[in-house]
Amino acid sequence: MPKPLSSSQIFLQGLWNDNPVLRQILGICSTLAVTNLLVNTLVMNAGLIFTVGMSSLTVSILRNYTPMKIRMMAQTLIIASYVIIVDIAIAAYLPDISEALGPYVGLIITNCIVMGRCEAFAMKNRPWASFLDGLAMSLGYGAVLLIIAVIREPLGFGTLLGYRVMPEGFTPWTIMIMAPGAFFTLGLFVWFLRAKFPQTAEEKKQGH
Amino acid sequence: MVQVDAGTLLFAAIFTNNILLTNFLGLCPFLAISREIRSALGLGAAVVFVMTCTAVLNYLAYYYVLLPLNLDHFRYIVFIIIIAAFVQLVEMTVERFFPALYYILGIFLPLITVNCAILGASLFLIIREYTLVQSMAYGAGSGAGWMIAIVAVGALREKVQKSAKLPKGLEGPALTLIITGIMALAFTAFSGMIQIQ
Amino acid sequence: MKKRLYSIVFMFVLTFVFAAVVSAVKVHNEERIQINQQVKLQRVILKVLGVPVDEKAPNRVVIQAFERRVKAIEVKQQTLYVGYGEGGKQITGYAFPVGGAGFWGPVYGMVSVDPEASRIMGIAFYRHSETPGLGARITETWFTKQFAGLPIFPVEGDKKIFFLKPAGPGKGPNELDAITGATGTSRAVEAFVNRDLDRFLREMWKQVKKG
Repeated sequence: MPKPLSSSQIFLQGLWNDNPVLRQILGICSTLAVTNLLVNTLVMNAGLIFTVGMSSLTVSILRNYTPMKIRMMAQTLIIASYVIIVDIAIAAYLPDISEALGPYVGLIITNCIVMGRCEAFAMKNRPWASFLDGLAMSLGYGAVLLIIAVIREPLGFGTLLGYRVMPEGFTPWTIMIMAPGAFFTLGLFVWFLRAKFPQTAEEKKQGH
Repeated sequence: MVQVDAGTLLFAAIFTNNILLTNFLGLCPFLAISREIRSALGLGAAVVFVMTCTAVLNYLAYYYVLLPLNLDHFRYIVFIIIIAAFVQLVEMTVERFFPALYYILGIFLPLITVNCAILGASLFLIIREYTLVQSMAYGAGSGAGWMIAIVAVGALREKVQKSAKLPKGLEGPALTLIITGIMALAFTAFSGMIQIQ
Repeated sequence: MKKRLYSIVFMFVLTFVFAAVVSAVKVHNEERIQINQQVKLQRVILKVLGVPVDEKAPNRVVIQAFERRVKAIEVKQQTLYVGYGEGGKQITGYAFPVGGAGFWGPVYGMVSVDPEASRIMGIAFYRHSETPGLGARITETWFTKQFAGLPIFPVEGDKKIFFLKPAGPGKGPNELDAITGATGTSRAVEAFVNRDLDRFLREMWKQVKKG
């Protein structure tokens, strides 16, 4: 059994080395949709961090009591419950944003990151470590989404958090509000990062 | 209530509001599997089937069980359970009657359960207040649209990777994303085609 | 066998615990969510009736303003919102919901007419599933502003109270700018707003005039 990682190592791993979106291209599914507005992205991030953190924590606490055969069902139930709580909370305290986010909050359930961390880490590690891991992964993921939002909102709406940031004469790039804009932004970002910071041997090989 | 007829909705769900290219759903397996056309087609067919049936099942569960009992906030749990159960059923059927297909699809078959597009389609049809027939059309159309997207991008990706010398860092996910973006752009051209009312 | 039983019991207990927690959260927040919905509608009604309410005003301010300035009445099984002046005596206008099938999902809006039901005072759309940047632009001020002052009248045959035409030179008196690139949404809005205005004039207005 390998030496357990220290807290800061776990954190760093989630944030950068193993950043889910950039390295493993996991879970971009639903959350990319809300990145055309920064405020929506922030709320979505908060929801995701809460869900991944709490789910990992809960799964880890129960890991020795959960029968192997039904663990997927149990994890799904736990994750879905936390997502419902997040959804209700947003609907109660941020009703306008809740409408804007629509079904995408619910889709956190199928977000590969949540289930992935529960299965890969939380089932085998202690509660506090699992919680940190979940936190780090979702923070790293959220950071990428924030960067994309900071590109999409100004170019697509001319604003940032609702405040006008582009000069008056600026014609908004409507394409940034729609799907293609998100794909291009993320694609270019991943390309840039992979070219600048090749992490694995495989990626280094691809560089030539 | 949307007055769009089922046929138009089917067409629209495939082209103008493609669940992958417009709503960003169903990307995970997309990036992994779009290497081989044959497996992509097989998976796509399975997804169409699952999406159509779960759209109908979830519609019934929502309007005939959850709402009357005032339990609509549990819909996330109920929907995913229905989807998981149904996929399990499909998996068992395919393993029994189409073993070749089962072998090709491998792990991607049970992974259909966590495909955001499946749950997404069910959630969308509730928000948009579709009728049963519209839900079925929407489910089938979304599934077909997903399949077309995955096959098209996969084919393009293969072609590009084979024939072009790519700059550093572009290979893999970055390339797939950019190709997807171009495809999404192309599909928006369809939005002028739909005539409603 | 023992393992099986344990699994079943485990799932049962887990489901029960989490269902209970979720239900508790829901019940605790239910009232708040309902008030949010109600206030949202009230904001829209106040807006089209021209009652100034700060966008950032808290819920109770909106509720107070609504109770002071608006009265909801039932006419022919439909709700009509009557706007009153500051004194609470003089009628300043009528507001009623408009809505119908948009391009992607139902569109919900509110329109207001002057006390003689001769012109539109304002219109606002508060719920829709249209494409951001395209159909979703129906909520933008430039679009809704066009409706202010539009004369309304019962229509016969093919005529309409207003048309939404692609932006360009040479507009007739009842032609408004559609949204470029959102033909489906524009057509839908044109259809249901005309329909609802006409229905108001034919059915509800007669009743209201009678008193």
